[in-house]
Amino acid sequence: MAVKDKLKTDLFPTIWCPGCGIGLIMQQLATVMDELGLDKSNTVLVTGIGCTGRMGAYMNFESVYTLHGRTLPVAEAIKMVRPELHVIVVSGDGDIASIGGNHLLHSIRRNPNITVVCNNNEIYGLTGGQTGPTTPKGTATISSPAGASYSPINLQGVVNTNPNAYYARTTVYHQGPMRKAIKEAIEWPGFSFVDVASQCIENNGRRIGFASANDMLQNYRTEYKAAPPGSTHLEPHQLGIVKGEPLPVADGSGNGSGE
Amino acid sequence: MTKRLVQGNEAVLLGAVKAGATFFAGYPISPSSEILAQASVYAAHHPEFRFLQEEDEIASANAILGGSLAGAKSFTATSGPGFSLMQEAIGYGHKVGIPCVIVNVMRVGPGTGMPTMPGQGDLNQARYGSTGDYTSIVFYPSTVAECYEYAIHSFNAAEESRSPVILLSDAFLGHLNEVTDLDAIDLPVVPRTLEPLASGGTRLFSGVATYPDGEPATADSDEFIRQYNETRNHSLGVAERYAFYEYGWNKESKTLVIAFGITRRIAQPLAAHFALFRPIRIWPTLDEELTEIAARYKEIVVIEGSDGQYANVVERMLLRRVERVPLLGGRMSIEAIREGLDAIGMLPAEPAPSGSESPAGSRAGRAG
Repeated sequence: MAVKDKLKTDLFPTIWCPGCGIGLIMQQLATVMDELGLDKSNTVLVTGIGCTGRMGAYMNFESVYTLHGRTLPVAEAIKMVRPELHVIVVSGDGDIASIGGNHLLHSIRRNPNITVVCNNNEIYGLTGGQTGPTTPKGTATISSPAGASYSPINLQGVVNTNPNAYYARTTVYHQGPMRKAIKEAIEWPGFSFVDVASQCIENNGRRIGFASANDMLQNYRTEYKAAPPGSTHLEPHQLGIVKGEPLPVADGSGNGSGE
Repeated sequence: MTKRLVQGNEAVLLGAVKAGATFFAGYPISPSSEILAQASVYAAHHPEFRFLQEEDEIASANAILGGSLAGAKSFTATSGPGFSLMQEAIGYGHKVGIPCVIVNVMRVGPGTGMPTMPGQGDLNQARYGSTGDYTSIVFYPSTVAECYEYAIHSFNAAEESRSPVILLSDAFLGHLNEVTDLDAIDLPVVPRTLEPLASGGTRLFSGVATYPDGEPATADSDEFIRQYNETRNHSLGVAERYAFYEYGWNKESKTLVIAFGITRRIAQPLAAHFALFRPIRIWPTLDEELTEIAARYKEIVVIEGSDGQYANVVERMLLRRVERVPLLGGRMSIEAIREGLDAIGMLPAEPAPSGSESPAGSRAGRAG
């Protein structure tokens, strides 16, 4: 098998804007899925509303494009009914951290053996660029022209309320670390969350002063640094993985041990 | 084959199990909570039956969509406020075509309302609660044995229609204990109709208007109308096979009483004075059956636990005046019915003999 077999390339080009970061995530996810032997008979994708949600339509898997914010209840139920399946959630930050925030809190608590890959572009992109739950305080958006009023949600802190969960932060510029983070997340026996900083040039980047998507990528290159080895907490703009104490998976057929 | 005391809510759970349900997700809410609690007990003894207590009713409804897609006959149980929270997911289930069952044990709303008092005010919500146009199949039993029977019918209709089916109950019926022999009830069980996830295909289950290949059809009106008509006609065709109602009591009377769910039981002392039509399939409405029966009667009165939700439906269906006896605020009693009849000048001249209720006396029928 090859990476391109994981993709419905006949549907390309995608609907994503030129310069969008989502395709970079899809490429690495497809690469990892190929490496781990994930295919349409053992894996289900669950995606939420937002630009990111379209990823399910472009991959050669069965996928559920849920209501806005409801990826986790759907994914958790699928995993409960079919524990032998790999269940991978691909979601935007607005979908999973705002409208779906209550499900995130409680799915984390229940520690289902599923993986979340979050395209975190710090904005509601599909609806035109409104303030989202991850928008940095002070950022001008079309719903906060004088700057976002509140601090963004602390996704690392939320995920780490479960001492057995896995949290990784990476960016679409750092393709190698992103691939490693996604792979280890899928192999993690329990809840895993990959927080991928990703650019939205059309509905965020230009407004906040970037001339191009490449400028946003270069910004990730210079702003994000790898956390020191053994870090148990990532500072802002640190790349890394924070692992809890892995719990044995009750059903014996976790995301990483299904095959 | 043993008769024993069974509670209405318990009968719903047992019916679901009989119908082959293997996944329940729910959130506690009066007066439906026994279904959640007993599902958890059942799951503890039957590992193939999966149980998840969710963080809220939004999660519950979406979870049963996921559970059903994954291959399990799935259901949840709730009451008014929770039913409101589930509406978006119900619409999604209709759009995508996901068989599942939502049990709504009705209490008095709106808002938190009267959590332990019986109501029948969710009829319109059961039909129109989600955004857009869709075809709901909704049943409302009247006895504990029927709670079991119609739980099975609900799962069967859900499989056949590939849509969420609503099973209505109410605070009285859900908490009613009756001696019954559920083992003696033998109904066919429709097998799963939806191929489970990861069957080797690459299907996209999407709430967005899409073409069969998964590409967005969000601006193609013709495609939307084609898919809508196909789904609507399919669901209406399935519903025809579930046209359940009861027609009985004093058929020689000049007045037809329409009552359903627990209200039909409460109205039983009026049996000598009125004919009775009890819709069991609440939606789609039983137009053909009721139109034919109603034509035999000079007057029609709807006795219901809402301010005319079903009476309005009947009036519009028959294009004739329908009298109303609304039982509001949980005041669902024969005294309240008599007062209501008196207020519209329809109280029978002589008090009806009391007692003698025999719910099995007039059999529930089926059209055709």
